Amino acid sequence: MIDPLTHATVDAPMLADTLSRFFQPDTLARILIEGLGKAAIYFIIAIGLTLVFGLMGILNFAHGAFAMVGAYIGGVIMVVALSSASGAFTRIALFIVVVAVVFALLTAAGSALEIKLVRPIYDRTPMYQILLTFGVGLILEELARIIVSSRGIQPEPTWSAAQATIPGFLSGPSDVLNSLFGVNIRGFYLFAIVSGAILAVAVYLFLTRTLYGLYIRAGSEDPEMVEALGIDVRKAFTIVFGLGTGLAAVGGVFLMWDPTWGPSVMLNLDVLLYAFVVVVIGGLGSFKGTLVAAVIVGVADSFTTWLFNTGIVAFSGLPEVTIFLLLVIALIIRPQGLYGVEEVGGH
Amino acid sequence: MAISPTRRPDGDDDTDARGDGGTESASGQPATDSLEESQVATDTTERTTMTEEPGGDDAEGAHWTVQYARDHLAHVLVIGFFALYPGLVAVLTGIPALDIGFTTVDPGAFFDAFLPAMTFMIAMLFLGLFAMSFDFISGYTGYLSFGHAAFYGIGAYVVVMAANGDIPIVPEGTPFMLTLLLGATVAFLVALAIGAVSFRLTGVYFAMITLGFAQVIYELVRNWDYVATNPQEGPSMSGAAEIGIPYVDSLSFAIGRLAGDSFENVLGLGIDISATLTSYYAIGLVVLGCYFAMQRIIHSPFGRVMIAIRENEERARAVGYNVFWYKMAAFGMSAFFAAIAGAMFAGYRGSASPDSTFYFLVTADALIVTIVGGIGTLAGPLFGSFFFESLEDILSSQQGGLAPYLRETLPEAMLSADVAGITFLDVINTVVDGRAPLYLGIVFVLFVLFVPNGLLGSVRDRLGGTVAKRLPAHLERYRK
Amino acid sequence: MSLLELEDVHTYYGESHILQGMNLTVEEGEVVALIGRNGVGKTTTLRSILQLTAPRSGSVRFRGEDLTGNPTHEVADRGIGWVPEDRRMFGYLTVEENLRVAIDPDQEVEPLRDEMFDLFPDLARFREKEARNLSGGQQQMLAIARGIVGDNELLLVDEPSEGLAPLIVEQVVEALREVSTETTMVLVEQNFPLAMDLADRFYLIDHGTVVESGPTEGVTADDERIQRYLAA
Repeated sequence: MIDPLTHATVDAPMLADTLSRFFQPDTLARILIEGLGKAAIYFIIAIGLTLVFGLMGILNFAHGAFAMVGAYIGGVIMVVALSSASGAFTRIALFIVVVAVVFALLTAAGSALEIKLVRPIYDRTPMYQILLTFGVGLILEELARIIVSSRGIQPEPTWSAAQATIPGFLSGPSDVLNSLFGVNIRGFYLFAIVSGAILAVAVYLFLTRTLYGLYIRAGSEDPEMVEALGIDVRKAFTIVFGLGTGLAAVGGVFLMWDPTWGPSVMLNLDVLLYAFVVVVIGGLGSFKGTLVAAVIVGVADSFTTWLFNTGIVAFSGLPEVTIFLLLVIALIIRPQGLYGVEEVGGH
Repeated sequence: MAISPTRRPDGDDDTDARGDGGTESASGQPATDSLEESQVATDTTERTTMTEEPGGDDAEGAHWTVQYARDHLAHVLVIGFFALYPGLVAVLTGIPALDIGFTTVDPGAFFDAFLPAMTFMIAMLFLGLFAMSFDFISGYTGYLSFGHAAFYGIGAYVVVMAANGDIPIVPEGTPFMLTLLLGATVAFLVALAIGAVSFRLTGVYFAMITLGFAQVIYELVRNWDYVATNPQEGPSMSGAAEIGIPYVDSLSFAIGRLAGDSFENVLGLGIDISATLTSYYAIGLVVLGCYFAMQRIIHSPFGRVMIAIRENEERARAVGYNVFWYKMAAFGMSAFFAAIAGAMFAGYRGSASPDSTFYFLVTADALIVTIVGGIGTLAGPLFGSFFFESLEDILSSQQGGLAPYLRETLPEAMLSADVAGITFLDVINTVVDGRAPLYLGIVFVLFVLFVPNGLLGSVRDRLGGTVAKRLPAHLERYRK
Repeated sequence: MSLLELEDVHTYYGESHILQGMNLTVEEGEVVALIGRNGVGKTTTLRSILQLTAPRSGSVRFRGEDLTGNPTHEVADRGIGWVPEDRRMFGYLTVEENLRVAIDPDQEVEPLRDEMFDLFPDLARFREKEARNLSGGQQQMLAIARGIVGDNELLLVDEPSEGLAPLIVEQVVEALREVSTETTMVLVEQNFPLAMDLADRFYLIDHGTVVESGPTEGVTADDERIQRYLAA
C-alpha cells in the first residue's frame, strides 16, 4: 500500500485506519460485489480467448476488436430502438435481444474469418497467427473509427449516448444491495454477476454435455488424435473460433453499459490486454482457470480502485499497474497458469 | 525507386544466405535438424566448402574481397539514395505545371502528393531504427519482444528528463549525445533485469511477459507526476538536442523542426540546409552507425548463435552454448538500440509522451514494419518503415498527400457527383484523408498471408535461389 | 482384393525423404508386423496410411479405394483405427469420454461402449476416471479399445509394449490376440519375439523400403537376413 513514486509516507495510524475501514462490512461488500461484477465481464470476454487458444493454439489478438464491435453494434441497436420514454423492462428486454443478435452475428463473422484467413496459416509458426489476428484487429478498429466518425460520434473516449441506454435502476445504486448490505452499489454490477453466471453455466454445459464440447476438450489436448479418430477437427476449429468471437462480442455488449468502459475504439487494445491477463493467470486453455483468474483480477481491480478512490493511495494508475503486475508475477511464478497443463501451448 | 534498396541484400553476404533456411522455416516448412548442425557446428566447414579452393589463402582472400566489395556497393547505393532523397524531392516537386492545350499537367503537385515529405522521412529513421532493434531480438533469436516500446520509452524519457535536470547526478546541460548513451545504457540494464526472469519462458509466454512488463512501466510513467507536471501528456525538453561530438560546437548539430540548426549558402554553393534537413542527416548518421553495429554483431559468431537459437534452441544448447546468456546479451543490445531510437525521437520532437513511446501500439508499429520489410533481415525493417511512412504521408493531408491532391486535381463536377446523398468528396474525406492505419492494416494482413518473408526476405529468397537449392545437397553431405 | 495396399509410397518430413517407395499388402483377417530399426519409417508408414503425413507420391488403397489426398478424419471413418506410440490418451477426459470421441455421432453409443467394457473389464471399473490417472497398462488397453470401438476393420498399432512392465506386456499381448480374431491388424513392434508371436506375416523395413517379407512361422532372431537389418 506504500507508493514510493509519489513519496507517500505511510504512518502507523493511517495503516490502522485503512485496515479498520477495509474490514467494515459495507466496504468488504462493495469491493467484493463490484469485483465480482467486473470479474463476470472479464470472464465472458476471456473465456472465448482461452477456448480458441486451448483448441487451436492461437492467441487471438483480434479478440478485443470483436468486443469493440459488439459494444458498437449493441449501442447502435439500443440507441436507435429506444426513446427516453422507454421503461426499464423494455431496456432489459432489448438488451437480451441485442446479446442474442450480436452473438449470432459475430459467431457467423468469426467462423467466416477462420475459414478465409486463419485456416491458410495453421501450418505456420504461432507468430504468424498472432500477426494475422493483430492485423485484423487493427483493421476493425480503423473501420470502426471511420464509420463512427462519419456518423458524428467521437470514436474516443466513449460513446456516452449508448452508455446512457442503461435503465436507471442499474446505473444508480441498487435497492436490493442497499437493503442487504446497507451500502450504495450500482445495480449494474449485480446485473453483470447474474448474467455472467448464466453465461458461465451455459459455456460449461456446452463443454461438458454436448458432443462438440467433448470434441473441443479432446482437441485441446491432442487435435491430431481427434482427427485420427474420425472427427473433422477443422470444423471444430471453425466453430470454436466463431463461438469465441461471439462471446467476446457479448462481453462487448456488457461493456457498453459498464460505467468504466462504454463503446469506444480503445476497447480493441484495452480489452485485449485485460483478457490476456485473465487467461494467462488462469492458464491458457482452462475453463476453471479462467473463472478463478477473472475473479482474482476483478476483485484486485475493485480493491485497488477503492484504495485510490478513498485517497489511501494517491497513485492514480494503481489498478492498471496492479493488474499488469499480476500478469508478470503469474508468469514468473507459474507460467502455465493456475490450472494450466505443463505442456499447454506445445502445439 | 524501391528497386535499388531492395536489391542490396542480394549482395549482402553469404552468411545470410544460410539464414534463408530460417526464414523458410518461419513460413511453414519445418527446419530440418541438420540445418542447425551446419549452422552451429560445421559453420567453418561449410564456408570452406563454399569457397572454391579451400587450400589457397589468396583464393579465400579474393573471395572475401569480392564479398566486401559487393556488400559495400549495395550499401553505397542505399545510403546514396537516402542521402540524395531531399534533393530529389526538391527537384521533382519543383517541376512547374505545364499547359498542354486541353488540360494542365502538374507533375510537381503529383510528386508532392506521393513522395514522402522530409518530416515523414525523419519519422522513418526513428521507426526504422526501432524496428531494426525489434527485429534484432525477435527476428534473429525468435523471441517476440512484445514489450519493446518500454526501451524506446526509456531512451526518450531519459534524454528529455536529463535535459530538464530531472535525473539525479546528471547535471543540467549534459550533452544530448551523452544522455542518449545514458538512456541506452539504462535500457540495456532494464532489459537484462526483464530478461533474467523472462527468458525462462518461450513462445507466446515470452511475448506475454515482456508485454506485461512494458505495460507496468507504461502505467507507472503515465501516472507518475515526477516525470512531468502532466504525466499523461509527458515532459517537454528545455533546449535543443545536439547530435555530434559532445563539447565540440562546430561538430554538433541541433536537431528539431524548430530548434534545429539551419545553414544558408553552405560552402558558398548556394545551397540552403533547413533545420529539417540538418535533423534528417544528423539522425540518419546515427541510424547508419547503429545499423552497421547491429550488422556486425549479426554476422559475427555471436550472431550465428542467435540464429541457431531461433532454429533450434535445444540443439544450440546441446552443442555447448550457454543459450541463456546469449539471449540475455542479444536482448540487452536490442534494448540499447531501441533506446537510441527513442532518444532521437524525443530529441527531435523536443518532448515525449507515454502514448507515443511506452505504449503497446509503438511496439506494434515496429512489428508491422518488420513484417512488411522482412523479419529476420536487418535492413528489412528500414524499408518496411519507408513504406509505412510513405503510406502515412500519402494518406495524410499534412504535407501534400492524396486527399488534397485529388481535391485539387479532380474536376469539380466529379467531386460533387452525388450518389445516394454521398458525394465523391465525402468519400475522399472519409476513406482517404488520414486513413493510413486502415490501409496499413490491410497491407499488413496481406503480407502475413501472402508475403510472409516480407519485401526484403522475398527478394532475397528469389535472388538467393541458387544458394537455397544447393543447401540441401550441402546438408546431405554433413549428415553422412 | 486385399484389404490394404501400399504401392510405391514416398513420404517426406520437410525435406527428409522417409518412405522411399514403400510396397505392402495386408489381407483381411491377417496380423502383419512391421519390423526394423528405429527411424526406418515404420511409424511414418502408419501415418501415411492415415494420411496424417500425406505421401508425396504413390498410392494407399483400402478395399480398393485410393486414400491418398483424403483428410485423415475421412480415412478414419472408413474403418481404420490407430493406437499411436505413447498411447496419446485424452488425459483430462474420463475413460467413457475417451471412447465416446472415437464413436461416430450416428452410431449407438451404449452397446459399442459396453462391448469394449466386456473386452476390457479393467476399463469398466474405471469408466468415470480421468485417463491420466490410469496405469500405463490400463492406458494401453484404453488406447486399443479406442482404436477398435465402432467396429473398425483395420487397426494400426504402434509399439504397444513400449514402456510397460513384462507382466503388463503379457496382458496387452493377450488383449491384442483377442482383438486380432475380429480385426485385421498392422503392428509396429520393437520387441522381435513378441512381434513374431502375434503376427502372421512380417515386413522388414530399412531406409523407408521393404527389404524382406514373409510368414512369421519359424522365423527367429538368429535368422541371418533378419540379423543384418536388426542388429545395431
